[in-house]
Amino acid sequence: MRRINRRACLKGVGLNALGVTFALPWMESLGWAGVPTGKADKPPVRLGFMYMPHGVIMNEFWPTSPESFLSSPPRALESLRAVLDQCVVMKGISGVPIDPFNGAPHALELSTWLTATLPAPEKRNEINIAISADQIAANHLGAFTALPSLELATMPQTWKENQEGLNEGYYSHCSFSSPTQAVPAEVNPRNVLNRLVNKQEPTKAPGSAPLSELDRSLLDIVLGGARDLRRTLPVSDQRKLDEYLDSVRSVERRIAAIEVRQKEAALEKAGVRASKRHASDSPPIEIRIPEGEKRSEYMQVMCDLNILAFQTDMTRVSTYIGSTPNGASYPELGFNDQHHSNTHHNNDAVKVRKIAMITEFNIRQFAYMVTKMASLREGDGTLLDNCIMMWGSGLEDGNIHARENLPFVIAGKGGGSIRTGRYFADTKGNQGDLLTTLLACAGVPNDRPVGIATKQIEELKAQA
Amino acid sequence: MLRSENARATETSDKLRKDMSSLVPVAAALRRLLQTSAASLWLIVSLVLALTCPCGLRAENHDALKADASQYFRDRVTPFVKTYCLPCHRSERPTRAGVNFTPALKTPEHAAFTENWKKADARVRAHDMPPKEAKQPSDDDRRMFAEWLPRLKYLSDKDPGPFVIRRLTKPEYANTLHDLFGVPTSIADGLPDEVAGQGYLNSLSPLQLEQYLAVADNVLRQIVAPPGRRRTATEKRLFGQSARAGTQPGGEPRKAAREVARSLARKAYRRPPTEAELDTLVATFDLGTRNKLAYPQALGLMLKGILVSPQFLFITPAAEAESNAGIVQLDDYQLASRLSYFLWATMPDEELMTLAGRGKLHEPAVLQAQTKRLLDDPRSRALFDGFGAQWLNVGGLQRQVFDPALFPQMTPALRLGMYDEVRLFFQSIVRDNEPAIRFVNSDYTYLNGAVAAIYGLENTVRGPAMRKVRLSNSHRGGVLSMPGILAASSLPNRTSPVKRGVWVLEQVLGEQVPAPPPDVPALDKQDPAAVARLTLRQRTELHRTNPVCANCHKILDPIGFGLEKFDAIGRWRDRDTNGEAIDSSGELPGGEGSGSEGLKAKRFSGPAELKAIIAERNRDVARNLVEKMLAYALGRKLDGYDEIVVDDLMSDLAGDGYRMRAIITGVVSSYPFKYRRIEAPRRRNAQN
Repeated sequence: MRRINRRACLKGVGLNALGVTFALPWMESLGWAGVPTGKADKPPVRLGFMYMPHGVIMNEFWPTSPESFLSSPPRALESLRAVLDQCVVMKGISGVPIDPFNGAPHALELSTWLTATLPAPEKRNEINIAISADQIAANHLGAFTALPSLELATMPQTWKENQEGLNEGYYSHCSFSSPTQAVPAEVNPRNVLNRLVNKQEPTKAPGSAPLSELDRSLLDIVLGGARDLRRTLPVSDQRKLDEYLDSVRSVERRIAAIEVRQKEAALEKAGVRASKRHASDSPPIEIRIPEGEKRSEYMQVMCDLNILAFQTDMTRVSTYIGSTPNGASYPELGFNDQHHSNTHHNNDAVKVRKIAMITEFNIRQFAYMVTKMASLREGDGTLLDNCIMMWGSGLEDGNIHARENLPFVIAGKGGGSIRTGRYFADTKGNQGDLLTTLLACAGVPNDRPVGIATKQIEELKAQA
Repeated sequence: MLRSENARATETSDKLRKDMSSLVPVAAALRRLLQTSAASLWLIVSLVLALTCPCGLRAENHDALKADASQYFRDRVTPFVKTYCLPCHRSERPTRAGVNFTPALKTPEHAAFTENWKKADARVRAHDMPPKEAKQPSDDDRRMFAEWLPRLKYLSDKDPGPFVIRRLTKPEYANTLHDLFGVPTSIADGLPDEVAGQGYLNSLSPLQLEQYLAVADNVLRQIVAPPGRRRTATEKRLFGQSARAGTQPGGEPRKAAREVARSLARKAYRRPPTEAELDTLVATFDLGTRNKLAYPQALGLMLKGILVSPQFLFITPAAEAESNAGIVQLDDYQLASRLSYFLWATMPDEELMTLAGRGKLHEPAVLQAQTKRLLDDPRSRALFDGFGAQWLNVGGLQRQVFDPALFPQMTPALRLGMYDEVRLFFQSIVRDNEPAIRFVNSDYTYLNGAVAAIYGLENTVRGPAMRKVRLSNSHRGGVLSMPGILAASSLPNRTSPVKRGVWVLEQVLGEQVPAPPPDVPALDKQDPAAVARLTLRQRTELHRTNPVCANCHKILDPIGFGLEKFDAIGRWRDRDTNGEAIDSSGELPGGEGSGSEGLKAKRFSGPAELKAIIAERNRDVARNLVEKMLAYALGRKLDGYDEIVVDDLMSDLAGDGYRMRAIITGVVSSYPFKYRRIEAPRRRNAQN
């Protein structure tokens, strides 16, 4: 398996061999970073994922027919009505068959979602799966932005339960930067905001310090020392240290990108417009960190941060774990049960209703995000026009752990690569096919299919 | 010789079979796991005996047993696998069900294949494999194969396992910063939470590194005074008494900085730095000077460099090891770190560092004395917070959801009280060197007013302070009935007898409970109105009308229902929420075909008798504790040779009744704790 190398991408944009100086491609081109000069007016495509565990109530999720999709959408999708013409729903995309891990449906629903791959059975107690689609995208699209990708969640990723002897990390992670490294998500909105604007709260405990040129030079020296240490270590230790080295380089690169942005801002202040973004583009949205504990507000501020990160081109890839399979509860809906406890509803009307409400609730937060994106001007259209936002679950029916027709909604035209406003009632394909197709639509040159993929879902594309 | 070994094994089996009643639940659990017929029961019993065999197999026996296992594998198992398994499960892509015996035949003892052997053993016993349409082995062949798994461990070479450099966990990182700089441990609160224990993630992401930088800044703000301000005591301690050290006329700032670096790094890296490492640190000092920082600020930058270096963030070896050295003893500094992070979750103190510097720490008497010293220190509370709380399942209690309408009393204060009860109980067993079975069976606990109210002792114990309390109620005492532990396995609105049952089997008795089958059949064939009228017990018993569910639940449910007289937060009750009387009697089944082999179901009428039945399984409880603690101390899953290490430890501990301090000292003195295997570079992967 060939691992796509983030460093190889970096070389392409002028990082020198020491990994220190960062060329200023978008200073020269005065356009979107990394977008060829000839197309400098065209905003880049952004790719976002948002997750809900445990599946849906199927007869409230699947549209009745392709014809009625826009005029009378199913109950679960009602909140998306305003932007439904900018969405695609497809039935028939199957998840990864989980044999030989049949006893671990929840350990795997999230971790297979973006990998379309099963953990290695012989190393099940370690993280050993595959790089996930969002991280493949980050390796390419992230080469030009301050953050290669943004990982968000609303629950701590610390679930512990032993199913089929699988590593506990599989319960709560869907992003993997390599087969052996899970990417943790940020759960604190304030920390995310500080990261996006590179500020630190004067009084609060640190989430993110303002990173400086001095830090970059310091890290460079530390990196040299770490390389010396690496030479003295046995092979298994070297692999562990490589994660550290990768992280240091990534932070160095982020500092470089921040500096470029600051210079750009200074130029703008001096009256020189540094990018060719349209004057009519909407200004960056405002972020209000909620004080209370309402789940809807918590989920929405994370949506807002995702929007802000895309709008300001801080990143072009995001993964938002709306909740992990260990089960959020939704007191706002009038009951305190944990999500999972009602999924095995056995068609009990009360439990079915609760699951349907939880599904609607989650889709409503996604609708909040994409509807807002559709209201923000960017280039000749809207922010949503330039995005591919996928909401979905790794199970179809939590009652029996079915994964034949994974429920998902794609919003956004992907810069014109996706034709929206359609429902396909009988798609043939699997989760790997879908992810491979989305990467292609986002312009990620992908040299190998994702997980179990065998083809692309051509009907999703605009030219099909 | 071979025959005599076998005879000895049979003798042991016979001796143990007399004690078999205590093993009945294991046997039944395994049989259910294997879905075997009654006819093969004796096989399972012998398997159970072999897996839990307490007889100490010392090194001198090991060679003989290994020779026997090798021969058994070569002469009997290999032809069996070739005939019945390899036709499907061989090297090809994709492998069938992820099972491939081609490499397992070459190196059967490799840790990667342990799962394969366990699975094959279960499937072959259950007559699931080979599939019906394939050639079938005789019953004798199946029996022969069943005797393979218990022999497998003897094939393992003496191997301490790898000790891959390990990143400090969040609490370890916080404690270490506290010990170094006197800063509050809350300084690390912004770091992501992480999964600890056997499946510990041990990775490091860019996000974490950014946060390490931020925390380092925060440390510097607290200990390095801005230019012109009065220097803090910590600054003087770390950077030297004079703010202008080396900057006076004729002074040599770089030389002074190098000496500061040497003393800082010895503490922060938990070993003496190499000259090359000092060069790196002086380069960070130079960077500060170049950027026109004053001397203390440049030292501050150097300190920041230390705090984001891998030598600080990871536990790294002091001595450079030959990459083909094979098995080496931990150097004394590494041993000091392993010991102090195990028992204190923080860096070694000066005494440990001094002993390590003198090369004394690995001496058995010194190591034992230090273990005792560390356990006597209040910092050993970390053994509970890091290990005990996870083992006893109360680590997540503060965040667990309870329906506020049903359980308004589950305030943060009560939850803390519940946690502290378990903690103080655990610590008392460590402090007083009690036998491991005390966890199950004790007549005392620790209560404050809030927790006492859960016990119905609110008139006896008042106020917020925790204190030791004698218990006269025989249903109480021990972890099975502690409110915090009972609450931890509850759902937000009610008890879960199944989860309680699983917890007791896995965490107290050390058994593996398989996950439910993927397509749990619906219970809705029953009349819903009739179901609604049933008690929780009656509803749960519906599980047992379905044979797929029954196999598991007839073990889990009796234990869970035996504890049903405790509600979701651990209060005693006689009636459930519908006002129905609770029946907490039951029996742990002896299995089909009982009468043979002397298997008898054990009846109990309530929690006290259930506790007594479980307390009889002294050895299982102790072995489980030894295994879990060894895995925690090593920071990895146990495998292969570790099983023999545990066997040996168990026989050493038996005479003393498996006392807690002896267990901890045994773990610290064990071979895998003191040695490590260095992986040869580019070894060919055995799996493909």
